Amino acid sequence: MISERLQKVILRKLKLDKFDFKNETLASQVPGWDSLTHISVIVEIEKTFNVRFKMQEILRLKNLGELQKLIDARASSRLE
Amino acid sequence: MLFNSLRFLIFFPIVTTAFFLLPCRWRWLLLLSASCFFYMAFIPVYILILAFIIVADYVAGIAIERAQGPRRTHYLWLGLAANIGVLFIFKYFNFFNENMDALARLIHWNYPLGALNIILPLGLSFQTFKAMSYTFEVYYGRIAAERHLGIYALYVMFYPQLIAGPIERPYDLLPQLHAEQQVDWGRIGRGLQLMLWGFFQKIVIADRLSAMVDQVYNHPGTYTGLPVLLATYAFAFQIYCDFSGYSDIAIGAGQVMGFNLMANFDRPYFSQSISEFWRRWHISLSSWFRDYLFQPITFLKRNWGNWGVTCALTITFLATGLWHGANWTYVIWGGIHGMCIVLGLWLTDVRRAAVAALKLNHFPSLLRLLNVFITFHIVCFSWIFFRADSLQDAFTLIRCLPGGWAAPLGTPPWHWIFYLGLTRWDVLISVAALLILLGAHLDQGPGSLRQRLSAQPVWLRWPLYYAGIATVISFSTITRKTFVYFQF
Repeated sequence: MISERLQKVILRKLKLDKFDFKNETLASQVPGWDSLTHISVIVEIEKTFNVRFKMQEILRLKNLGELQKLIDARASSRLE
Repeated sequence: MLFNSLRFLIFFPIVTTAFFLLPCRWRWLLLLSASCFFYMAFIPVYILILAFIIVADYVAGIAIERAQGPRRTHYLWLGLAANIGVLFIFKYFNFFNENMDALARLIHWNYPLGALNIILPLGLSFQTFKAMSYTFEVYYGRIAAERHLGIYALYVMFYPQLIAGPIERPYDLLPQLHAEQQVDWGRIGRGLQLMLWGFFQKIVIADRLSAMVDQVYNHPGTYTGLPVLLATYAFAFQIYCDFSGYSDIAIGAGQVMGFNLMANFDRPYFSQSISEFWRRWHISLSSWFRDYLFQPITFLKRNWGNWGVTCALTITFLATGLWHGANWTYVIWGGIHGMCIVLGLWLTDVRRAAVAALKLNHFPSLLRLLNVFITFHIVCFSWIFFRADSLQDAFTLIRCLPGGWAAPLGTPPWHWIFYLGLTRWDVLISVAALLILLGAHLDQGPGSLRQRLSAQPVWLRWPLYYAGIATVISFSTITRKTFVYFQF
């Protein structure tokens, strides 16, 4: 499930009012999320969650569910 | 071997029939042999270049998978260097040499290297890019390295895509090459339909329009005004029909044998911006550059904000231009597209404000039409550089564009169309064929003619297919031309 915080970051960055995010949602299915805006969304997520992704981690992602998992994994490793 | 040749019309049914008759475990060998035969119809010895690329990437893939830490990156670079090295020697060395020589003369330096007298292997850019895509995917960990050398060789050499793409991705094609394909008459019918549509685009439209384009573009400075404009519009449809036609034949041939190949075009001239155009034009190449060049650069420069994206766009589009050929005309062509997307990126708010000020947002259809019109004309302008033989020719043609529009013998300007290498019959067929193309592009989705046709009984469908074949043959041009993208 996509967290409310992640949903808010994406909506804010893409200037969207609402969108029905699911684990299987692809970036290309979200209005305004294309190759030109992709990196700005990622940077915004990094800032909000205070994480720094590796290129391969981002390039490997298939959908929003995997992005959420990556953020969760980073957050839990920080707690440890 | 050309798709639009008698040899292919014999080759294709023989290979397809043998493919389905053979036990599954031998099919890869048949397709690989057929692909070698297909390739060797051009310059047989060049198969050794492909063999080198195949072995280099096959070994690199396994090495990357086995390695840990920075060694993975070293093997990636080695794999890429093998491909880029071959591409540089055969495609770019003489271009690099000419420019170095010109620079040397400018600074009075005696440049020692001479030109290489070699013929560019057909489709080398397509094959190397397909091979590099595999190496990148193994490196990113999105696929496992292929252990079956024969299947990997077939991935690079799969004959429908061998000469001009689509540049398929390994995660789509490799599993299909391992899978067992069944005879499916519905799919075979759809594949043949697509091939017929591809032939229609190539031999009825593209080859016919090429006469008009060649007449003007091979004699820059001879024509002014309307003829240059008409030839440029004609080239826009020639290049589209030529390449989209090739792609449809390739995808259709794959579909007949049970392979789903990626789409390469999605009605690009309906795009409302240049960035949208690149999501619809030569999709397999634009997505290659997006995934393996643009995205890594934007990621590495992510702290630069829009400047990072600008930098990535500039590099990507100059590389896209250079990919097409070792000539400054292609670099400028790519540069024009890159510049338009960069401007779009920086001026998003200005554009929104202008649309609001002109109240165009109250007329969405008009705005859409305006966007399509502007985008199409920017693309057409860039085609001048793409088609011209040299930068000098391109600038001559552009200078001639606003010139006098009067047609010969005092006839109305639109009569120019009859003085540009086409007979009245050719003009009539071209206009009718382009209207059919437009109709096909507008008639998409559920309830389209193609879908309704597929739902008809066999006794109605097949006579219609034969009528389609007869129509394409009857209205094709007499001379057979190679596909434009073969040279890349």
